[in-house]
Amino acid sequence: MKLLDCADIGKRPITEFDYLGEIRIPPSDADESTWADYVFNRNGAPGVLRERWYHRPTGRWFIFERDTLTDQIIGQVDASEVRYEEPHYEIPA
Amino acid sequence: MKFRLDPQPLEWIDRSESVSFRFEGQTFSGFSGDSLTSALLAGGQKLLGRSFKYHRPRSVLSMANHDVNALFQSSDATNIRGDVTPVSEGVDLRACNVNGTLANDKDRYIGLLSRFLPVGFYYKTFHKPKKFFPYWERLIREKAGLGEINTSWSATRQPKRYGFSEVLVIGAGPSGMQAALSAAEAGADVVLVDENPRIGGSLDYQLANEEAAAKVRADLKSRISNNAKIRLMEAHYAAGWYTDHYVPLVGPEGITKMRAEQVIMATGVMEQPSVFRNNDLPGVMLASAAQRLIARYAVKPGQRAVVLCGNDEGYRAALDLIAAGVEVAAVVDLERVGKRGEWAKQVQAQGITVLDHSAIYEAQGKGALSAVVVAPFNGKGCDAGKSHVIPCDLLLMSVGWAPAAQMLYQAGAKLGYASQAEQILPRELPQGIHACGRLNGAFTLEQRLADGSRAAREALAQLRGEAVVSELTVHRDTQSHSHPWPIIGHPKGKNFLDIDEDLQLKDLINAAKEGFDNIELMKRFSTNGMGPSQGKHSNMNGIRVLASVTGKTIDETGSTTARPMFHPVPVSALAGRRFRPERLTPMHQWHLKHGARMMEAGQWQRPEFYAPSTAAGAVTAAQREQSIVQEVQAVRSGLGLIDVSTLGKIEVMGPDAGRLLDVVYTMKMSTIKIGMTRYALAVDDSGVIIDDGIVGRIAEDRFYVTATTSHAAAAFRTLSLKIQELGLNVRLANLTGSLAAMNLAGPASRKVLSALTDVDLSEESFPYLGMREGTLLGYPVRLIRVGFVGELGYEIHLPANAALEVWEKLMDVGSAHAIRPFGVEAQRVLRLEKGHIIVGQDTDGLTNPFEANMSWAVPLKSKPWFTGKPSLARLKNSCERRLIGFRLPQGFSPKSSSEMPKECHLIIQDGEISGRITSIAYSPSLGRIIGLAMVDLPLADANVPMQVKVDSGAFVAIEPCATPFYDADGARQTADLTEVA
Amino acid sequence: MPWRLLKFGLKSTHDEPRFFPEAKPLKSHYDVVIIGGGGHGMACAYYLAKEHGITNVAVLEQGYIGGGNTGRNTTIVRSNYLTPEGVKFYDTSLKLFEDLADDFDLNIFYSTRGHFTLAHTDSALRTMRWRAEVNKHQGIESEVVGREEIAKAVPYMDMDCAGHAPVMGALYHAPGSVARHDAVAWGYARGAYNRGVEIHQKTRVTAIRTQGDKVVGVDTDRGQISCNKVISMVAGSTPRITSMLGLRTPIEIFPLQACVSEPVKPFMDTIVVSGSLHVYVSQSSRGEMVMGASVDPSVLHSTRSSFDFVEGLTDQMLDLFPFMSRMKVMRQWAGMSDITPDFAPIMGKTPIDGFYLDAGWGTWGFKATPVSGKTMAWTVANDKTHELIEPFRLSRFADFDLVGEKGAASVGH
Repeated sequence: MKLLDCADIGKRPITEFDYLGEIRIPPSDADESTWADYVFNRNGAPGVLRERWYHRPTGRWFIFERDTLTDQIIGQVDASEVRYEEPHYEIPA
Repeated sequence: MKFRLDPQPLEWIDRSESVSFRFEGQTFSGFSGDSLTSALLAGGQKLLGRSFKYHRPRSVLSMANHDVNALFQSSDATNIRGDVTPVSEGVDLRACNVNGTLANDKDRYIGLLSRFLPVGFYYKTFHKPKKFFPYWERLIREKAGLGEINTSWSATRQPKRYGFSEVLVIGAGPSGMQAALSAAEAGADVVLVDENPRIGGSLDYQLANEEAAAKVRADLKSRISNNAKIRLMEAHYAAGWYTDHYVPLVGPEGITKMRAEQVIMATGVMEQPSVFRNNDLPGVMLASAAQRLIARYAVKPGQRAVVLCGNDEGYRAALDLIAAGVEVAAVVDLERVGKRGEWAKQVQAQGITVLDHSAIYEAQGKGALSAVVVAPFNGKGCDAGKSHVIPCDLLLMSVGWAPAAQMLYQAGAKLGYASQAEQILPRELPQGIHACGRLNGAFTLEQRLADGSRAAREALAQLRGEAVVSELTVHRDTQSHSHPWPIIGHPKGKNFLDIDEDLQLKDLINAAKEGFDNIELMKRFSTNGMGPSQGKHSNMNGIRVLASVTGKTIDETGSTTARPMFHPVPVSALAGRRFRPERLTPMHQWHLKHGARMMEAGQWQRPEFYAPSTAAGAVTAAQREQSIVQEVQAVRSGLGLIDVSTLGKIEVMGPDAGRLLDVVYTMKMSTIKIGMTRYALAVDDSGVIIDDGIVGRIAEDRFYVTATTSHAAAAFRTLSLKIQELGLNVRLANLTGSLAAMNLAGPASRKVLSALTDVDLSEESFPYLGMREGTLLGYPVRLIRVGFVGELGYEIHLPANAALEVWEKLMDVGSAHAIRPFGVEAQRVLRLEKGHIIVGQDTDGLTNPFEANMSWAVPLKSKPWFTGKPSLARLKNSCERRLIGFRLPQGFSPKSSSEMPKECHLIIQDGEISGRITSIAYSPSLGRIIGLAMVDLPLADANVPMQVKVDSGAFVAIEPCATPFYDADGARQTADLTEVA
Repeated sequence: MPWRLLKFGLKSTHDEPRFFPEAKPLKSHYDVVIIGGGGHGMACAYYLAKEHGITNVAVLEQGYIGGGNTGRNTTIVRSNYLTPEGVKFYDTSLKLFEDLADDFDLNIFYSTRGHFTLAHTDSALRTMRWRAEVNKHQGIESEVVGREEIAKAVPYMDMDCAGHAPVMGALYHAPGSVARHDAVAWGYARGAYNRGVEIHQKTRVTAIRTQGDKVVGVDTDRGQISCNKVISMVAGSTPRITSMLGLRTPIEIFPLQACVSEPVKPFMDTIVVSGSLHVYVSQSSRGEMVMGASVDPSVLHSTRSSFDFVEGLTDQMLDLFPFMSRMKVMRQWAGMSDITPDFAPIMGKTPIDGFYLDAGWGTWGFKATPVSGKTMAWTVANDKTHELIEPFRLSRFADFDLVGEKGAASVGH
């Protein structure tokens, strides 16, 4: 069982976490293709991703940088680094 | 026990304790500490099993848990490995995979047909004509498989435990013992594990008679037993290496899941057989097998022996045979005896004939070895013309070793062939992984001890984060201990390369010639290494054969992937203790006492309906139906009470609480007035409905959110995610478990409740969709005027510990109004009468709110943002289906249930699937069957009767109609009907 | 004894022809390059040659033939899907499977066993009925059966699941089958090779060259090739290939694990799947129990095994088959599943002229092998999307026109 080493809660087994996937930020006022790209497409190739994990026992979200080829955790990312403003979307006239 | 030797210095058996058991109908006796095989051999039973395909007689090969031709079955176990399973009193064993008895296996003639069954033959036949294949397949399946299982065996489950260690040493031979000691003496917390019941490894069988080893042995063992930093786990094998040094250790009492910071693999080497004709005859065994038999079990492996050597170790084995009173007729050396060391000199000094530059061309014997044919050998093949026969009943093979490197590969180590050693050795090891001993090419005792210390030193340095330059290769032997080609061709074949699978040399050569000349393809086509020993004594020779056929090097040829498990692991140990947590509401026992039939809702148990008090045990469909109807009628005409404690219940607090809810739910929540609630619909980024519930406002900066039972955890997760993503100043409290909830519904609800609470329930002060706080029977409660079931009603949210008392009081007071508890089924009918959807039943994995007729819940113009908004803006005008209400004709009464439309029956229009019933039920309130259906456009808008295909294949017409079916203007949810009734 | 076996026995030499070619250098040009020598790639090559006369074709395989998901799946073939387009597609595949052995003159051990998907909740049972109704309407043998009928076919199964989530019913799909997965790839490969297709193992594609929006060639670790048509049929390696072209897709890679027990004598004829318990099991012709579960929960481009998987699987399995506690798990392994948001594949043309995609196979790729090869070959030969795979086009995501398979979200092997 893999361990996720977290600065806040220590090393915990990966089975305690729910996986959300790569951090994706919804674009504001996106045209149709940009929006569809956001909703469906993914950076699926092997590489280092910033991913969100929800730790069920503590009810907290964490962000780790992970190499999806080797499964190595490279580091933890502070949520403030990937914070975004609430988007907006006006219906095209 | 005619083959039992005098006591051996290191024997495992306890001669004071006899054990008797039965094998193939005969009684045998052995000693406590015997394995099944050693006890059988001691009792003169040489024939232990039959081979997988040809049912050839087989016996001991390794005595190392690789003897898959000596598999037994008893009344409560199968595929029992005789070489390592301890004898137990009274066990009654049969050989696996025999047709009839072991001695008279009716399938033993299959071997005569072997020339008709070349490699991969089954791919090339049996398929024409097609209709006969099932017959052949049945035959093949019955011949395949090993032991029998008994499907009436009960489940056995062994609890598991977790273990932690700084340094895990796998293998307690000399190098492993030394590594454990060095690590422990340097202060590390060490676990030393070995699959054998006693530590010592080859020190205790290969070097059992070496005087020089005695002192080392005594010293290592006493220091280990006296070292408090070493936890010794004998009789445990490492099943595999898993990510982050997680190594399950399988023992007789179950699995310990060991998490280590550093792993030292001291797993040793596995002796490899020589390939020659009839190398599978009982009496032909690995030299180490004979040494194990003698040293551990004091069993004499034969009377007259020939020893085949490709290394020094064979001479040691010959000396051990002599010491055990076995006559050694000859030693046959594949190479020049002059290159051998001290042991060879001792053998020669005893006057034993050594035939060098020779090999075993074939073994002879009927049912067991009676002679070997020795012929000159040039490193590639034998000169059969110059052969001669040596009578013997025992042949030891000591031609080489393959590393037990399975877990090194699993851990990501890089290994390669070292031609000097003629062995695959580690080249690069990942962080935290170390290898030592014979696995790492250290062969002399001195080398092994030094290498163990070295590995410990490097593990300690890594443990402490110190820089270290690995000296992986420093203690390796300069001399080879494996022959590069112990493989002897023979025109008549039967020179087995994989005895698990009965594969002969020609099978592999032919596979390669047919194009399966990649090591993995060869494995898959020939099945080499696919048997229960997973290639432990066939992979290395397989690689050598393929390299030879293709003219490539061993490294270019590569190796098949070594996957877990190292040895097969019992399911009982893997499964562990059964753990199926259930969540029960505070009223659970009450429900059971009152006839509730429970259903599972995720982890929760909920009342489906309450059976009539007369119904004990199973309830008939008619009784179930009747109960549901009565529960519905109670709510519509008087009063009902349902336990809704399983709802998700979340408090959302903070200055940004309204903003958060505006993002998560489609409708605007930040404008809800304090003390009011609003329907809450959640969609995902793609606009698909994922949940619904309500949001109520407690204060300017406090909201109360409910979510469906199945989505409760996800709702909390989503809310907390958005807080993090947007950096909002909001706190959440998940009250799902700490609060209970019940819905008191029906015209009498206000009257009954008002007598018990201090909350003013009048329509003016507590309108529909209102939310109030107060007390009920002295407990703090939150009351919500909800409309899901379409009657005047109050959802009562209160501390879980107060819920049962309140529930019982309501039932008591409500009895004046014929109150009934109602279950999930009645609630489904009640909400259907109101046309309310159930997410997940009336919606599927792609349904958006427009399709669900909920465009009113999608404020595309007035809200700048909510999750999924751009998707819904796009989907608004491109929907291809819509949920409609429908009903069946009044008085519809099918002849049988197969004529009855059911949920998920299809609407068929012009032969095409045009829709699907998502909900259907008899509505007691309307006296007819009503339902919802997801119907393709434009049919959904056509407002014409539609045809539903029912189980019988017939079509039943349904008529679309408007929803809600019942009380369309919602008067009953608001009016005080008790006054007018 | 079949006469073929007699023939083997009466000859002193083993002069069977090669299945696959010996390694040889790449040519500088091919009309079509297929990336991926698994079942799909080999099937496509086979049908290109056999049905369209296109033989100047190279199949490039980074490992060995059938070494990816073709050799890692649990070999189940079925067509009881939820959507009409899915049913039609997989049923075509199943019918092709039935005749493959004849077509190849190679026994692929296609064995019809019957396939039970167990329902432990009323909502699961509803979904079963939905699938059954869609199937039946399209002429597929599928029906919802009750506990009695299940107990008849699998009498040793504990229908009460040791007291938790008892079996309420099942979707029974009589044509559900298993086949020898490797043999399917080998049969297609041999057929393609015999018709002139080149198969290059241990040949890794490093780049796909384009001019404008048009494919002009492929770079490999064994040299460059020019070609105008490239088909990617690489399942778990799809994102690696598409990223060479900057082509974005919804595909993410999740490991899918499986394991086998030690072989025992046959006792189980059917295939049993339980979505709620996340298990599926059948017994191979070798006697091993072949067992799997759902995909791993997080993205990973690796075929490593996890212990959690085998623990969870065996634990749940014992609820159904308590006696299996006395069997042993012999080997576990994993494949890399290429998962799409709507659990349907991505097939056909792409925005890049000459680049065709056959991907998004999730956990269903093996059963689609013949039909994928056939329809992709047609699509490439005609440069026009075959009607059977039209619903699976890549552009459906941009169009918000997803396939409805997700409606029946459950284990679907």
